[in-house]
Amino acid sequence: MKATFKIFRYDPDKDKKPYYKEYTLDVEPNTVLLDVLNDIKWHYDGTLTFRRSCAHAICGSCGMTINGKNRLACQTLIKDLDTSKPIKIEPLKSYPVIKDLVVDMNKFYEKMFKVKPYLVNDNPPPGREFLQTPEEQKLIDEAYSCIWCGCCTSSCPSFWADDDYLGPAALLKAYRFIFDTRDTLTEERLRIVNDADGVWRCHVIFNCVEACPKEINITEYISRLKLKVVTSKL
Amino acid sequence: MSLYMSPKYKEQVLDRKRWFEWDYKWFWGSFAWVLHRLSGWALVFYLLLHIWVIHHLSRGPAAFDQVMQAVGTPLFKVLEIGLWGVIVYHAFNGMRVIIVDFWHGSKYQKQLFFIVLFLFVVLWVGGGIIMALHMIH
Repeated sequence: MKATFKIFRYDPDKDKKPYYKEYTLDVEPNTVLLDVLNDIKWHYDGTLTFRRSCAHAICGSCGMTINGKNRLACQTLIKDLDTSKPIKIEPLKSYPVIKDLVVDMNKFYEKMFKVKPYLVNDNPPPGREFLQTPEEQKLIDEAYSCIWCGCCTSSCPSFWADDDYLGPAALLKAYRFIFDTRDTLTEERLRIVNDADGVWRCHVIFNCVEACPKEINITEYISRLKLKVVTSKL
Repeated sequence: MSLYMSPKYKEQVLDRKRWFEWDYKWFWGSFAWVLHRLSGWALVFYLLLHIWVIHHLSRGPAAFDQVMQAVGTPLFKVLEIGLWGVIVYHAFNGMRVIIVDFWHGSKYQKQLFFIVLFLFVVLWVGGGIIMALHMIH
């Protein structure tokens, strides 16, 4: 079947303004969108620029706005998109564009680092692994499957309006360590998220949950953080 | 931690950030939130208007009667029916937000929104009819 792809183009060395270019290709319903982009780049237009790496929804490189929704190109099948009109592919919303579909993720990473995305344990090493019960592990089971693709933060209206908002990805990361029984930096972490630009900027809009390619219920974890903040003595 | 950016790159980068991404896909949660915001602003406007009306009490009975006459016109009566709708939506969606935030209701946010919409329509239409009948008589 034939499908048309309307792709956002911007080359800072040539273009003053971004524009959309259409490519019509023969595709199968089960074709993955990333393969279509590769096909365009390799056989039709070598100037098309986009990020990709693993092609298995693990690296989080190919996050983009596809038909108005943030997704990973590598796990989007053509049959799941409306092919009756051109499929619109844009770089992730709200992030600055470097070229075509490649966005600048610096601010996103800065926020991820703000919440200290690593385990801190001041206790003397036990001489073996830090153990957890299955129940304790279950608390963070889903939260640590985040792949840092940035789809959630870019889909969040609170982030659109406020650049300083930590965003769903960073808050999810904060949850993952605050609720990790092996971590000892809980109070400091709670102070970081207890801010006007922290958990309280989340207005439970659920765009992050709809966008997350790993189907993480991010809003639920941000809500648990809110509850933890109001029930803790900070 | 800040990552390196060359000055040339900083100049060339395209800032697409907008206050609201209108062309992003609308989900039920987005509708619930936008309606909550709009009804919130409407309530703030109403409260300011209400305070302005009530402050006429300090200016004596004549001034108060005059302003009450102005807000007693059919236009304001119809607006009151609108105000009832705004209150009902904001109150019930506010409860939905509380349930989501503090009672782990996020898994059922869509169903909760449909309940909010149902209660909003029933109470607004029902209350609106009673208010309209009261207005006619």
